[in-house]
Amino acid sequence: MFAHAAGRRAACLAAARSYSTPAKPSIKLVAELRKRTEVSIAKAHQALAATNNDVPAALAWLEKDLQVSGLAKAAKVQDRDASQGLVGTAVLARGPASADPADTAGNGLRAALVELNCETDFVARGELFATLLADIAHTAAFLTDPAPASAGLIQPLQTEALLEAPLLSAADPYGAAGKASQTIAGAMRDLTAKVGEKISLRRAAAVAREPPVPLATRALRLAHYLHGSVGRPTQGRIAGLVVTSLSTPPAPSPSLADLLSRPEFSADLDKLERALARQVVGFETKSIRSAEKDEAALYQQSFMMYPGANGENVEAVLRRWAKERGMVAEAEGETHGGLEVLEFAKWTVGVYN
Amino acid sequence: MLAAQLAATRTLARRACSARATQSLLHTCARTSLRQTSRPVHPTLFQATRSLAARRGYADAAGSKYSRAKPHLNIGTIGHVDHGKTTLTAAITKVLAEEGGAKFTDYAEIDKAPEEKARGITINSTHIEYESSNRHYGHIDCPGHADYIKNMITGAAQMDGAIVVVSATDGQMPQTREHLLLARQVGVKKLVVFINKVDMISDTEMLELVDMEMRDLLSTYNFDGENTPIIMGSALAALEGRDEEIGKKKVLELVQACDEWLDVPPRDLDKPFLLPIEDVFSIAGRGTVVTGRAERGTINKGDEVEIIGLGTKIKTTLTGIESFHKELDRGEAGDNMGALLRGIKREDVQRGQVLVATGSIKAVKTFQAQIYVLTKDEGGRYTPFMASYQPQIFIRTADISTSLQWPEGTADAEDKMVMPGDNVEMVCKLFHDVAAEPGTRFTIREGGKTRSWNTRRASSCGGHASSSC
Ligand SMILES: Nc1nc2c(ncn2[C@@H]2O[C@H](COP(=O)(O)OP(=O)(O)OP(=O)(O)O)[C@@H](O)[C@H]2O)c(=O)[nH]1
Ligand SMILES: [Mg+2]
Repeated sequence: MFAHAAGRRAACLAAARSYSTPAKPSIKLVAELRKRTEVSIAKAHQALAATNNDVPAALAWLEKDLQVSGLAKAAKVQDRDASQGLVGTAVLARGPASADPADTAGNGLRAALVELNCETDFVARGELFATLLADIAHTAAFLTDPAPASAGLIQPLQTEALLEAPLLSAADPYGAAGKASQTIAGAMRDLTAKVGEKISLRRAAAVAREPPVPLATRALRLAHYLHGSVGRPTQGRIAGLVVTSLSTPPAPSPSLADLLSRPEFSADLDKLERALARQVVGFETKSIRSAEKDEAALYQQSFMMYPGANGENVEAVLRRWAKERGMVAEAEGETHGGLEVLEFAKWTVGVYN
Repeated sequence: MLAAQLAATRTLARRACSARATQSLLHTCARTSLRQTSRPVHPTLFQATRSLAARRGYADAAGSKYSRAKPHLNIGTIGHVDHGKTTLTAAITKVLAEEGGAKFTDYAEIDKAPEEKARGITINSTHIEYESSNRHYGHIDCPGHADYIKNMITGAAQMDGAIVVVSATDGQMPQTREHLLLARQVGVKKLVVFINKVDMISDTEMLELVDMEMRDLLSTYNFDGENTPIIMGSALAALEGRDEEIGKKKVLELVQACDEWLDVPPRDLDKPFLLPIEDVFSIAGRGTVVTGRAERGTINKGDEVEIIGLGTKIKTTLTGIESFHKELDRGEAGDNMGALLRGIKREDVQRGQVLVATGSIKAVKTFQAQIYVLTKDEGGRYTPFMASYQPQIFIRTADISTSLQWPEGTADAEDKMVMPGDNVEMVCKLFHDVAAEPGTRFTIREGGKTRSWNTRRASSCGGHASSSC
């Protein structure tokens, strides 16, 4: 019964070609519009009918219509449940690191964490969703004003405000492609129109901080780990963001700038910080320290995610790590210098508290 | 004495490899009636088999009036939210119920949970069954990619074929490619496409476009775009019993297309013989006997066989088959049997090896597998692990230490962790070789402890069939 499929298709293709009277959109043109825009068949059909089969005009018609139909579609799906999705990070500056010359953009911190939701994980696995999430995270990281030193480091962002911000492209941050600017909310509605699912911006947070002074002996650093990535390593099901502070005692100890200029120090530091981010993601972590015995306090956890931990807890590993590298000195009964976790964030898609 | 041994070892084996055991029971039942006429066998064995079969969950509930003699196929519906998967499923049961091949399951019953009804979104995979004139189908409708993968790995619901549902008004969506990738990933080789909601389309040319685009996309993802059956109809019309031309008729056409196009997985009986060795005895004056429950295939007295795994590869001849003190000329899948081997010393053979039709399967030390890590709630571990983790792997009767590694080329491999609830693709590097091939199921447990985490399915068995470590 399927043997004639090929023949049948050829016949209908031919029929299609000979069929294009202006009033009736040809399937060839509908197909072309579909390739170029990802609109539904019905929409492409409508666009051609409205513009007398003029493809450029139909594209313009669709562009305009997307706003209307995006709104309509978004309204239609509004009550549905969007509990799938991804958490995405954008890290523009993660503190001083001489090991990586590309990282010298700022010795301060600039990063964002965003959760974008949809209805099924099929959509979350797709390229359109990933691109939008990357752009939103980039926008959030880029637009956030540096917080004063007295404020917390990881600041929640108002999603309502963020939705109205112009969307910046992570792949093309300077807008070289010259695309018309659009708000984040608008881009989300476009995605809804394309994939037919509710898209919602669940939460966003950012870190924006000027470098502390003096630079030679103090630094803030940021590390992150994403778990459950499908395509991009900057997106996943669980994200951990950890901000640490590094300081060194006065001479004769080596200065921090000095230490950071040693490639092996920088590499070790990266490993340690990443292990911290992984620890936060991998284990139930609610606080950094606790006066009581508490498995959910990071410092009390056995540092399983750090290969050289030998059963020690996080606090002990951090202390030993700093000591071994000459970052700590005792003076008048007080300890100076060291490495400390200041703040962390752990976001899991669909888990809020 | 042999009988007692068999019973005991069998339970052990079943515990170690429960997914496998459940799966093959289906075939065991089907054969029972056939065999009773052709071969006299010890009755207690069959009682045991039957009561186990009765414990099988869902199939039994709707079950007994269907004939298990028809070949069985698990079929899944995949497609975009709202394109009509649930409506189509309900429509199939309705139309086939009229033919006596199903129990009508209404839309509302398929979308059972209250919160699903409220949202109209299917959340849990639903088990429905129906039959055409020559097949029995189990029907799976899952909400997401991760659910299908987990089902496949745990053996809860293996998809043998799939119906892709596409609404004619929208055509394929950007995520349709994800649906096709999923089908590939769970091992579906052939699909049938149902273009739904044609009642809403007046221009038939547009339907041809949906058809063409779908065929292109199928080919892009290595399905047979040219010959895949594409049926156009209206699930809702069929469900509501109106417009027979696009309703009922098209649903029947769809079922017929499934019958003709989708392949039934080979029955265990039709596969090459394999007996997982549970125990080894030496019987004075006769030689060495290995015992176990034949997993697949048939074997005759006098056949050439091979013993492989755990560093061994020996060719020999089967000189006798015995089941519960009865000598048989032939053994087959499902039989608990003792196999008398020519010229084999007892210490040459051990539990964990397999007795197989010569050359039918290789023993490997390394293979890549899809692994689902049980969550704490499912009885699994609650902490993550990283590459080089060394648990025990249980394949049939074998229990072997292994290390788990990321496949070559994995980004950040030394950094990546695995958490409870994850589906991952990893390379198992076993300390000893074992017979395995794509599709072989196994369980993994933490050394020493019980049931830390579980199961997967070898997706590819690259690797060195080799000697012992
Ligand atoms: N006009 C028309 N509507 C249909 C047809 N089939 C389904 N629908 C409607 O489409 C909507 C979605 O159908 P469902 O069967 O719930 O779709 P689904 O794919 O199971 O959706 P999810 O489970 O949410 O992913 C319902 O309102 C159905 O009544 C059809 O053939 N024609
Ligand atoms: Mg449904």
